[in-house]
Amino acid sequence: MTSTTWRVWLRRNLFRNLRDGIITLLTAFIAGWILWKVLRFVLITGRWEIVERNLALFMYGRYPREDLWRITLALCVAAFVTTMLFSMWSRADRAGVKRSPRTMLGEIGRRWWPLIVLGIVLLSFVTTVGPWIAACAAISCLFAGALLGRALSSAPVRIRGSAVAVTMLGIVVLLWFLADGLGWDDWGGLMLSLYLAAAGMVLSFPLGVLLAIGRQSSMPIIRSLSIAAIEITRGVPLVVLIILSSEGLGFFFPQDVLPGKVVRVIVVLTIFTAAYVAEIVRGGLQSVPNGQSEAAAALGLSPTRITAFIVLPQALGNVIPALVGQFISLFKDTTLVSIIGLLDVISVSESIRKQSDFKGQGLVAETLVFAGLLFWVGSSTLSRESRRMERRLGVGER
Amino acid sequence: MTDDRPDAAAADASSTSDVSGSARERGPAQFSDDDNDDGDGSHLPDDPDAVRHRTPSDVFADATLVSGEPIVVVEDMNKYFGTFHALHDINLKVVKGEVVVVIGPSGSGKSTLIRCINRLEEHDSGHITVDGTELTHDVRNIAAIRRETGMVFQSFNLFPHLTVLDNITLAPRQVRKMSRADAETAAMALLEKVRILEQANKYPGQLSGGQQQRVAIARALAMQPKIMLFDEPTSALDPEMINEVLDTMKALAETGMTMIVVTHEMGFAREVADRVVFMADGSIVEVGTPEHFFSNPQESRTRQFLAQIL
Ligand SMILES: Nc1ncnc2c1ncn2[C@@H]1O[C@H](COP(=O)(O)OP(=O)(O)OP(=O)(O)O)[C@@H](O)[C@H]1O
Ligand SMILES: [Mg+2]
Repeated sequence: MTSTTWRVWLRRNLFRNLRDGIITLLTAFIAGWILWKVLRFVLITGRWEIVERNLALFMYGRYPREDLWRITLALCVAAFVTTMLFSMWSRADRAGVKRSPRTMLGEIGRRWWPLIVLGIVLLSFVTTVGPWIAACAAISCLFAGALLGRALSSAPVRIRGSAVAVTMLGIVVLLWFLADGLGWDDWGGLMLSLYLAAAGMVLSFPLGVLLAIGRQSSMPIIRSLSIAAIEITRGVPLVVLIILSSEGLGFFFPQDVLPGKVVRVIVVLTIFTAAYVAEIVRGGLQSVPNGQSEAAAALGLSPTRITAFIVLPQALGNVIPALVGQFISLFKDTTLVSIIGLLDVISVSESIRKQSDFKGQGLVAETLVFAGLLFWVGSSTLSRESRRMERRLGVGER
Repeated sequence: MTDDRPDAAAADASSTSDVSGSARERGPAQFSDDDNDDGDGSHLPDDPDAVRHRTPSDVFADATLVSGEPIVVVEDMNKYFGTFHALHDINLKVVKGEVVVVIGPSGSGKSTLIRCINRLEEHDSGHITVDGTELTHDVRNIAAIRRETGMVFQSFNLFPHLTVLDNITLAPRQVRKMSRADAETAAMALLEKVRILEQANKYPGQLSGGQQQRVAIARALAMQPKIMLFDEPTSALDPEMINEVLDTMKALAETGMTMIVVTHEMGFAREVADRVVFMADGSIVEVGTPEHFFSNPQESRTRQFLAQIL
């Protein structure tokens, strides 16, 4: 843009008349002031030593230090799998579009910048070589995954399908491997939140879809059971359910048959989220016009196939933003497990302020800003990706 | 498509073109795989004089009206929506290869009638038999009948999340258990016949209304139905697209497909129909050949209606 077009743009959008001008200046002043305060805090006045010294606690709680390589390995596999799946289904890769490294880096930057910022922040706190090695390994896995995914992107559906199946199996093995012999309750920090959120999403999604379909069933028993499950769960605050899972179940079952707290929390988060997913999906099901099922029925498709191939895909496509919103709140709600004594990011930031070196120094802002950054990166990545997916699916319905 | 008229030759002698003729003998049939089609109009009314006005009470005497092997038989059928009596004592017999056009004012029950034939609506009394199978609560009968009947809707009802090709191959693969390759070959052949081969990999939302409706016709034909039901297939189209869909339907009629068509296109009725059924207030008021129907309608309701639309 040349300087005159800039001036025209400014005039038209920000300074159209006196009132607009005043509002613009006022907003700019407030924004500038906040930015100044934040930058000053982050770069000058903030005392980040508390985060630096406790980075490991923030990341993975009390997970045994000699077993950290397991986490590194998990991170590498996750990085590899994610980029493999992404580039396997990427439009550009499938169409065989050649992009220069520069445009590709630009694209990655635009799409993943919150994660990149987080990576830089984390590495800037690091004082040993271990994390650097882990980071290098993970980044190599990112690129290896992208290359493999790209190679597979033109493969027949069957091969791509089996790649996905193998991947899913791999993830299960990986989770088992991470927890193997360590006891679930040693999990902590960001890893605990990610793990709870991932397990909650993966499990609550199918359960929620089933409940939504059950709610519309023509069989009265299934319908009323679904409605009861959904409405009771939605009527109770999550905190109550979490406390109940930890303290209340002892009334019904002897303690020694109950699984550990983490597993119980996963069950609670799954049920709770499933109830909301069910209501979201129900809205989606109702948004699909009747003519769709009629056309499918007229072609001779059975009711199950009509739901599976015609109604459900459209319903889910219509509710992606709401679903992802629900998953984002699940991710953030995992912080509630601090109430039952699990060492999540929030309880880490509470407890490290009581360490003898930092006691009474009021480092609340430092610890919470860091915790907030962790959650913001996760949530914003989820919501950006969901908008991308929505736009991509939108092509089909334009 | 197979020749559905085994008893062709016998009836042929008497069925001269007076009543039937017009549409069937025109030009090389676009859908036809079978050259014999052109000559034998056996499924058409074999006695022109028998095609005459019927009063509502004896409409059902249509054994005399048409001859041939009946494929859709509706007897004393009634349909209610709650307390609203939507269809009154409907009797209709359609023979193989026949094209029946159903006309009538809005709300007269035309859609309801053809939706009962493939059980999108459930009738409350009477009998509906399609290709020898009676529609009952037995889901196997319903499934069998839906496999034999294709339906084309006013609003196309294509599946927006699937490509044109997937729209067409879904049912053959899922219901007829065809392999993907076979289903796609057949789909491409159908797309070529409806003249939109090049759109195979687009999504429905990227096509014009006329193209979408032709895809919908191809989708229904992919199940190799014996009967095609059309519910105002051109009513949602811009005028310039109506003809491309009507031409496709004409070509289909020329292959000997049995068709029941609800439409307001009187040109189509005149040219392609073997019989025209006029409905009003949930009853069949008058049935006849297009010639008799348009030139010499008997019922005052029919005359009134025709005066309004012609
Ligand atoms: N699902 C339904 N519930 C209640 N009444 C219905 C339903 N479907 C149709 N009707 C009523 O049944 C009557 C016949 O409807 P139908 O749709 O068959 O008419 P139509 O002849 O196709 O009219 P149009 O030319 O407007 O399409 C109308 O009075 C309509 O209001
Ligand atoms: Mg109608």
